[in-house]
Amino acid sequence: MAWGALRRVGPALAPRLWPPALRPPPGPRVPAARRLATSSLVLSARKFTDKHEWISVENGIGTVGISNFAQEALGDVVYCSLPEVGTKLNKHDEFGALESVKAASELYSPLTGEVTETNAALAENPGLVNKSCYQDGWLIKMTVENPTELDELMSEDAYEKYIKSIED
Amino acid sequence: MIKNMVLQASLKNCFQLSCVLRTPKAGFKGTSNGGLILQSVSNDVYQNLAVEDWIHDHMDLENQQVLFLWRNSPAVVIGRHQNPWQECNLKLMRQKSIKLARRRSGGGTVYHDLGNINLTFFTTRKKYERMENLKLVVKALKALRPQLDVHVTDRYDILLDRHYKISGTAAKLGRTTAYHHCTLLCNADKFVLSSVLKSPYKGLKSNATPSVPSSVKNLFEEDPTLTCEMLLEAIAAEYAMRHQIDNHITLIHPADETVLPGINKKTKELQSWEWVYGKTPKFSISTDFKLVCKDSVLDVKVDMDVKHGRIEVCNIDVPEQWLPPPLCNELGKNLTGRKFCPKEIATLASTLLRTYPQDDELHNKWNLLCENMRLLM
Repeated sequence: MAWGALRRVGPALAPRLWPPALRPPPGPRVPAARRLATSSLVLSARKFTDKHEWISVENGIGTVGISNFAQEALGDVVYCSLPEVGTKLNKHDEFGALESVKAASELYSPLTGEVTETNAALAENPGLVNKSCYQDGWLIKMTVENPTELDELMSEDAYEKYIKSIED
Repeated sequence: MIKNMVLQASLKNCFQLSCVLRTPKAGFKGTSNGGLILQSVSNDVYQNLAVEDWIHDHMDLENQQVLFLWRNSPAVVIGRHQNPWQECNLKLMRQKSIKLARRRSGGGTVYHDLGNINLTFFTTRKKYERMENLKLVVKALKALRPQLDVHVTDRYDILLDRHYKISGTAAKLGRTTAYHHCTLLCNADKFVLSSVLKSPYKGLKSNATPSVPSSVKNLFEEDPTLTCEMLLEAIAAEYAMRHQIDNHITLIHPADETVLPGINKKTKELQSWEWVYGKTPKFSISTDFKLVCKDSVLDVKVDMDVKHGRIEVCNIDVPEQWLPPPLCNELGKNLTGRKFCPKEIATLASTLLRTYPQDDELHNKWNLLCENMRLLM
């Protein structure tokens, strides 16, 4: 989602981010972000967009959600409008919307790919996006058509610095 | 009803506006730095919603904010993620030719007519601030009529006399821009309002966002000298003062492609069945109705799932001896995939009936069943 320097509601606490990426699977040691010969990522650390979405790729499938900064600024989510499985998305395409007490806010795809799964739990419990934005409140899963697009996104550290700069 | 002078002025304004819109970085040249006040000459809800979309998508709001003023002929406007069957009386609206529109912002359902004014405040996302906008409206009302007891609640409603809602708010946040729009009841038809905003449909189960019903009142009831024009002028004046711009309203024609390129495509999209009905979150209906036929009263049970406005699953349970089960099953089966719409069922019903021999009693029973099915939609 495109947030710019949206004023945050509530105490200006540094968001507690998800612990670092999982250890790579046993076998030959491969640094987490190294691309394999098949050109699909086995596992990558969480990356962030300047629109406060995150994506974490595992075995070529990216899980997408919104960051803690975003969910705090959004307020209580009351409805999640997500795309159908099979929808093809280009990077920056609008893929859905979150409605909160604050507004209806569009969601933009961080990468190019196809939707493989949407979080069914959000239909009954949209508040999961607020309560657990990095885990149970994930939004969609998608294929990663162009892994190079991941390089254009921010690392966790870079994202932390980014939100500090826009808060000032 | 635009007189010659106003027409010339509006053409001049449109030309100036097209300069603004085509050279976004330049901003508005001349005296109007920092803000622009636009008013629609159309009363068509779809055209006016399309203008909002257009401004949201195309205008550069870094150097100026925009206030858009508009009024609609009778229409019910639902929020982006709402279920019209849950929110309003569609049958009554069809009878009265009251349009149904779905807006792109969130929030609940409202009734518009020419006695209601709509205000849209456009800013960058950074400057999005609903409370400030509503306080501006209240300030304008109090400047116009100091005795008015109006205030903003923490739900972003404006209340008259501490109790009656005269304004509701909704908003949309986009990539770089945001808008906050609200209604303001001046002298709307409250009788029509309360009857169309009452849903007669039973047995609906949905996770669509619900409306919060409120008692409403018109400002006109408090002060009969108030008109919509006066309110619009007062609010525009307050906005101009706040943004230190000329108090000058630029008229905008929502069908003019030269000023608003691509606007008609947006209007068509907002009018489309796919947007208005098809965007309804998945819901189910579990209901029953009684059929009175000659001396017997029959219970019919209906269970349906509706997704994207189309029937996904349909079960109609009619006592066996009354209508041949194959006919009822055919109806249920054929309804699957169809739009959840009374016109669709009417067409389907007559098509299916042609496959049965001329049997008046059967035809009457069939028509009775189908008429009741249509009432669900």
